[in-house]
Amino acid sequence: MYLPEPIVNLIDGFQRLPGIGAKTAQRLAFTILKMDDEDVADFAQALIQVKRDLKICTVCQNISDQDICDICQDKSRDTSIICVIQETKDLIAMERTREFNGLYHVLGGAISPIEGIGPEQLKIPSLLERLSDEKVKELILATNPNMEGEATAMYLSRLVKPFGIKVTRIAHGLPVGGDLEYADEVTLTKALEGRREV
Amino acid sequence: MHVTSLQLQQFRNIPELDLSCPEDLHLFVGANAQGKTNLLESLYMISLGKSHRARSLQECIRFGEQTAMIRTRTEARSKKNRLELKLLPKGRKIKKNGLEVAKLSQYIGTLPVVLFAPEDLQLVKGGPQVRRKFLDVEIGQISPAYVHHLTQLKNLLKERNQLLKNLSKNNTFPLTFLDVLDEQLIELSVSIWRKRIESLARLQEWAEEIHLSITKGEERLRIEYIPSVPIHAQMSEQDMKHVMLKSLEKVRKKEIILGNTLLGPHRDDFSLQQNKLDYHTFGSQGQQRTAALSLKLAELQLVKEAKGNFPVLLLDDVLSELDDSRKTHLLESIRGRVQTFVTATGLDGIDLQTQKQAVVYHVKNGHVTRA
Repeated sequence: MYLPEPIVNLIDGFQRLPGIGAKTAQRLAFTILKMDDEDVADFAQALIQVKRDLKICTVCQNISDQDICDICQDKSRDTSIICVIQETKDLIAMERTREFNGLYHVLGGAISPIEGIGPEQLKIPSLLERLSDEKVKELILATNPNMEGEATAMYLSRLVKPFGIKVTRIAHGLPVGGDLEYADEVTLTKALEGRREV
Repeated sequence: MHVTSLQLQQFRNIPELDLSCPEDLHLFVGANAQGKTNLLESLYMISLGKSHRARSLQECIRFGEQTAMIRTRTEARSKKNRLELKLLPKGRKIKKNGLEVAKLSQYIGTLPVVLFAPEDLQLVKGGPQVRRKFLDVEIGQISPAYVHHLTQLKNLLKERNQLLKNLSKNNTFPLTFLDVLDEQLIELSVSIWRKRIESLARLQEWAEEIHLSITKGEERLRIEYIPSVPIHAQMSEQDMKHVMLKSLEKVRKKEIILGNTLLGPHRDDFSLQQNKLDYHTFGSQGQQRTAALSLKLAELQLVKEAKGNFPVLLLDDVLSELDDSRKTHLLESIRGRVQTFVTATGLDGIDLQTQKQAVVYHVKNGHVTRA
């Protein structure tokens, strides 16, 4: 099928995004064609800006439009607790709870020899720096509850031991508000293992 | 457990099949290479999500076709299920009652099967990997957590072996991370050992009784787990962990040189013996075959015990290999209780009573017709 080059380029661009196939990319490209010039210009500007103006917070490695992100600058937050997470997405999830008032540290992934990701590839050195500088009393390890996340958490706990800081791991088991009967056997077994006295 | 219908599309050499099979005993008769085993394979596959003989699932798609389909209806007491397995150019899709199954550990055990084929002689004769596979399939059908642990172990070993290889090349990976993976390996190993040792003990009880009966009281079958680490059934979990930790420390240098994990459930074995003599080394061909048969019949009982129903039994070309007394024992123990699918090259050697009870089919060039 013949299409002019500009629209082919646009379709190719959309197809690079996750979850977008050839058909969706084409539909999106033709939608752009029908949009107001001004809206398109804003959209294009946003794409360029996100790459040009966005920075990584020098303290917690979160994305930010300043050198130090809003959370790290917030005076009302408890600087004695740091919560370690894998990705920025996880930070957003934690923030949604509105229950956590400490600071974060974004690792940028989990350790996996198969993927070629070692401690060096993650933001671990900057975490250790923070632990020696700041008055941190507790480190919460909130990496994913899968094998890589678990291994990363265990590795960090060993690494942090000499600092004499309290290290905790988030709990895993049953989802809140769910029914016991619908839980799968593996999750239920985990929940049993992690039971606590009341 | 009963399979009440089986439908196949483009599966191996079978272009299309629609079989209603609520009866207890089904006998597929035909010359070699006509598709008898393919029928049993399809039942095995929809039970366990994989084949007992194909290296890749895609081997099972009929030559020149893109996809293949297996559909069954099952019934246990009054519980009915519709199962569907679709083989795609890449991977497979399993549906239970119309809903896609995301995790295999959530699915396995829906339709428990036990397959007995001539190559099961390897359970006694062959290497440790054959016996490990037997244990894993058998325990997996009754414990979803076990399947989950096995998958985790598989992934962990990949990571750990890669790490060992990196360490041997003086890569920048810190040794502390190996300690972490060791801790995970120990944790997983202990849960897998617990399950294996426990299941083998139950299997031993049944197999001993069955074996005594087949050998008319002459041979007492013993099954013994042989771990790659000096642990034993009476140990507490704490002790097992301690022993494994010490053993791993001892082999660490060697592991780094070889870039391979040398200890763990993936290196274990079990032996079948009588009077302390291993059938593997000291048994005659006939004795080995009987030991394998006893083990398989014990497996039927074990699944029954755990799930409340007998599994479906698949007998692939084994009747011709057994002598009359063993054959009688086998057929007696399943009669009227276990739904069974049998393949054979001919009806000779199958007693008249069995023939009368069975639904007989002729299999020719991928086509199945009721006799």
